[in-house]
Amino acid sequence: MRLSVVAAISHGRVYRRLGLGPRSRLDLLRNLVTALVRHERIETPWARADEMRGYAERLIDYAKRGDKDERAMRMADFWLTEKDLIHKLFKVLAPRFQPHPGSYTRLLQIPNRDGLDRAKMAVIELKGNPLPPLVRPRRASDKTLLNQLLKGYRQDAQQAAAS
Amino acid sequence: VLVLVRSPLPRLRALLQRCWGRLERGLWPGVFGGQSPPWGPALAVQGPALVPQGINDAGESSAEAPSLLESIVWMAAPKQRRTIEVNRCRRRNPRKLIEIKRNIDVCPECGNLKQKHVLCGYCYAKVKEETRLIRMEIHKKEGGPFNAPTVETVVLYEGEKPTEEDEGKRIIERARKRPSWFVQN
Repeated sequence: MRLSVVAAISHGRVYRRLGLGPRSRLDLLRNLVTALVRHERIETPWARADEMRGYAERLIDYAKRGDKDERAMRMADFWLTEKDLIHKLFKVLAPRFQPHPGSYTRLLQIPNRDGLDRAKMAVIELKGNPLPPLVRPRRASDKTLLNQLLKGYRQDAQQAAAS
Repeated sequence: VLVLVRSPLPRLRALLQRCWGRLERGLWPGVFGGQSPPWGPALAVQGPALVPQGINDAGESSAEAPSLLESIVWMAAPKQRRTIEVNRCRRRNPRKLIEIKRNIDVCPECGNLKQKHVLCGYCYAKVKEETRLIRMEIHKKEGGPFNAPTVETVVLYEGEKPTEEDEGKRIIERARKRPSWFVQN
């Protein structure tokens, strides 16, 4: 069993290294969580959105405990830098997600950024937001070519079995 | 005037001190190519000053030639020129070519090309523009910064009335017809 920590190997490390250091990484993620709670849909590099998703969902889990809970209030106070969003979190988002057991956010990839770095971008949004939907759910239609051919094949098979 | 220079990297300083210590004590073979370090006297003679000349010359000349050969570090070099055929085989081997993408599809909404796991660029740009206009309306309604509302929001287009579900929600009006891709719940 390996008891020492080797700095150069990162097997099994789950947290990404963002920003200038651990404090900077937390500040970055805090800004992103604040922006998500304020605007309910943000576009950022995929790595940052993925890192931030866990923190945002845990914050909503804390908020579901109610604003009388001391720990929940301290968490919201730390994570939301704009203090009017604490009211929004406890009065709007907590009731909205009360029936859901988990996964309050949706993370979708976008075409790479247009600038020089061509970074992998993603859009992360809270479910149930009032903005226009990003993805339209498609229902399988009977009128597509493949479905018509399959229907014809089933009919032929039935006729052959009947006769 | 005393000038104190502090190295910005304490680890680099410790490393340099260790290397210097090893050099001083002669524990670092290979740095000077088998010769003694240059800060001692080049020829330290102990014993009788009068030494037979022939033995000295023979010793010095025989000592110099092998030390030159030992001090060169041998490095690999190609023996033959690689022909253009061999070069082409190496450069055009399939592992070195750019991989073709097989995950490109047609977006069913607009017909543009998109990657299977990525949102369609055209459709996303449409949605982004509409959200920008909605956010402008929200900004006008809120008036200033840090005025996030404590109720849900609903977006209504021209000629639409709030339904029973929209009781108690803040209403954002947009002055245009509802787009076909934004279905009202």
